[in-house]
Amino acid sequence: MPRLTADLVLGLAALALALAALLFWVPADTGSGIVERIRGQYRIGDAMGPAVAFGILILAGIVLAIEAWLKPASGPGPSGLGSAQLGFLLLLFVIFMISLLAMRWTGPALASLLTEGGYRSLRASLPWKYLGYVTGGTILVGSLIALAERRISVRAFVIGFFAALLLAMFYDLPFRDFLLPPNGDL
Amino acid sequence: MDYILMGIGAVFGGPELFALGGIGIPAAPAMLFLGLLTGIAVGATPGLAGPMAMAVSLPILISIFGVRPDALLPVFGFLIGIMKGATVGGAVPAVLFNIPGTPDAFMTTLDGYPMTRRGMPKRALKIAHLSSVSGDTLSDIALFVCAPFLAVLVERFLDLPEKTALILLSLTFIAAVMGSSVGKGLIAIGLGMLAAMVATGQDFHPRLALGVDALSHGFPMVSAVLGILILGEIFWTLDDHWRGRVSRDATEATDAGPDGLRKGDVRRILPHILRSSLIGTVIGALPGVGSTLAATLGYTWGRRVHAKRKTPEQAAFGEGAPEGIAATEAANSAVSGANLIPVLSLGIPGNAAAVFLILAADSIGGFNPGPGVFTFSHPQINPELVVAFGIFTLMALGNLLNWTIGGVFMRAMGIMSRVPIRYLLPVVLLVTLTAIYVQDPRLGALWTAFGFGVLGYLFRCLRIPHLPFVIAFILAGSLENAARQAFSATGGDPFFLFSSWVSTAFMLMAIATVFLAGRAPGERRG
Repeated sequence: MPRLTADLVLGLAALALALAALLFWVPADTGSGIVERIRGQYRIGDAMGPAVAFGILILAGIVLAIEAWLKPASGPGPSGLGSAQLGFLLLLFVIFMISLLAMRWTGPALASLLTEGGYRSLRASLPWKYLGYVTGGTILVGSLIALAERRISVRAFVIGFFAALLLAMFYDLPFRDFLLPPNGDL
Repeated sequence: MDYILMGIGAVFGGPELFALGGIGIPAAPAMLFLGLLTGIAVGATPGLAGPMAMAVSLPILISIFGVRPDALLPVFGFLIGIMKGATVGGAVPAVLFNIPGTPDAFMTTLDGYPMTRRGMPKRALKIAHLSSVSGDTLSDIALFVCAPFLAVLVERFLDLPEKTALILLSLTFIAAVMGSSVGKGLIAIGLGMLAAMVATGQDFHPRLALGVDALSHGFPMVSAVLGILILGEIFWTLDDHWRGRVSRDATEATDAGPDGLRKGDVRRILPHILRSSLIGTVIGALPGVGSTLAATLGYTWGRRVHAKRKTPEQAAFGEGAPEGIAATEAANSAVSGANLIPVLSLGIPGNAAAVFLILAADSIGGFNPGPGVFTFSHPQINPELVVAFGIFTLMALGNLLNWTIGGVFMRAMGIMSRVPIRYLLPVVLLVTLTAIYVQDPRLGALWTAFGFGVLGYLFRCLRIPHLPFVIAFILAGSLENAARQAFSATGGDPFFLFSSWVSTAFMLMAIATVFLAGRAPGERRG
């Protein structure tokens, strides 16, 4: 009997989830059925598209399970999702969240400390409009370089700072209608 | 003929970019030139790819030229320039540093790098350039001839049920030929359609939004497409570095003496160029079949022929044979032009570059790639047809530029191969996020892109091809609209997909594709 490969698990999971979604989620979260009758005319309702998509996923699950069952060693190489990948994703999420928080709040925080008018009135003026972007960008680029190198270095954050500063100028100086993050949200 | 002239006129007589000595420089050819240089530089940088540059440049182009109809050709010019430049530039790191920047460049390393080590880097690069541009040119000619005819045939013979069945066939074909299994391709297609259907539809209720306010407007196309294609690839490559699967030091180039094309080189490689161009064009015309397969087939076929015909003093494939570079480069470059056949004639994108051309058309408006473009109307002028012939003119002009200055610039770009990818990719990530924000100025759009980036990373971990997801995401709306109209037009016939022999044939082919398709080798990363 073939062993339980990652592909077999993926196929069975796709099959089960798609079936459950088709039976429970689609009827509950669409405004009209698969086909509906309006003034004597039949027309395709909003549930048809998702039903077809989940139908394809059910088919995909069956096909993948059969493929994995019949030839478990086939394919170009090992595939799978383990703790290493999930750990990497967690690190990515933390870096991204900290960077975006820095991007969002650096300008408003400094403005509330140093001025009376708040950030909104300053967001179109230098250096305020670059503050959040450059701070968040430096953290993002520096941290990702550190992640790739598996060590934190000043060099990584210096590269991040200059990259973010140059990009801010590249987008802002010639294109007056572009808003750098986070100025469109504030 | 009138339309061809109008297309050429639209390229050279369009808005001016700047004046030089009192003479106005038309924007479209100038942008094509700039795009070509950008594309060669990007192609020559391992880890970067044409679609990344297209993604980053699109919002800037739209900001410069606006969303007026006369912006179409300058924007397309730049994007086409990138597409053509990246095709040529991709050979540089493969030849000089044994670094296959893209999967299809792996075959180029087999003979290109041995030539470099034997002190012939310039000769290897010239052969790569000559073969790449020849393949691209021949493929473009196929595009110019086939796309209008195919579009006219589609418009004349295919009605709504047939068009619906054709989109379904295309999606199943893409699922079957990309990636390591049909099942995984179908997963990508199903999820792509599903993502496109969130909060769309005709009813007031935003479907599949789970009652979440943030989902009630659906997923923005730019965030979704760039997330899957660009962020997913960046995360995946960073993970490679994080886990130490990538060598950190690029191979040093051999210091080469004077070298260049030798007498008889062109005659030697010409049969390989022609054969591989044909292979690449046929493969490229099929939506979703990547250049890796074309390069592999071109190389394998070329090796078989070369082994029979080579003289004892000629190098065998894999040992620094110019014919090996020619067979690979002509094949993978011939894919790029032919890939636009399904886009322009059917509105079905076959590769990532085509996706960005569709995104550009969608953002600017006034041009909807598909069979309707090639409607030869008289006396009213069909502006979309003028744009189509403008695109053909730009592609021909791009080839001319590639033939003349492309080689020089390509050889000068060897330095780009030395930029450490671990520094470059985080910067590209920031550029991509900024490009998304300037189009959709909400931090929420960046989170959406991050979410799709994570999905793209997971796809790569599980060897699920990511391009079918993007193509399904783009085509889902067209598929649903066509199905709605076909269903209504046939009076609510539940078997409308089998209402004519053509649509029945398409559906049977779609079913057969799923169950009978063989696997395409070598597409490890979708």
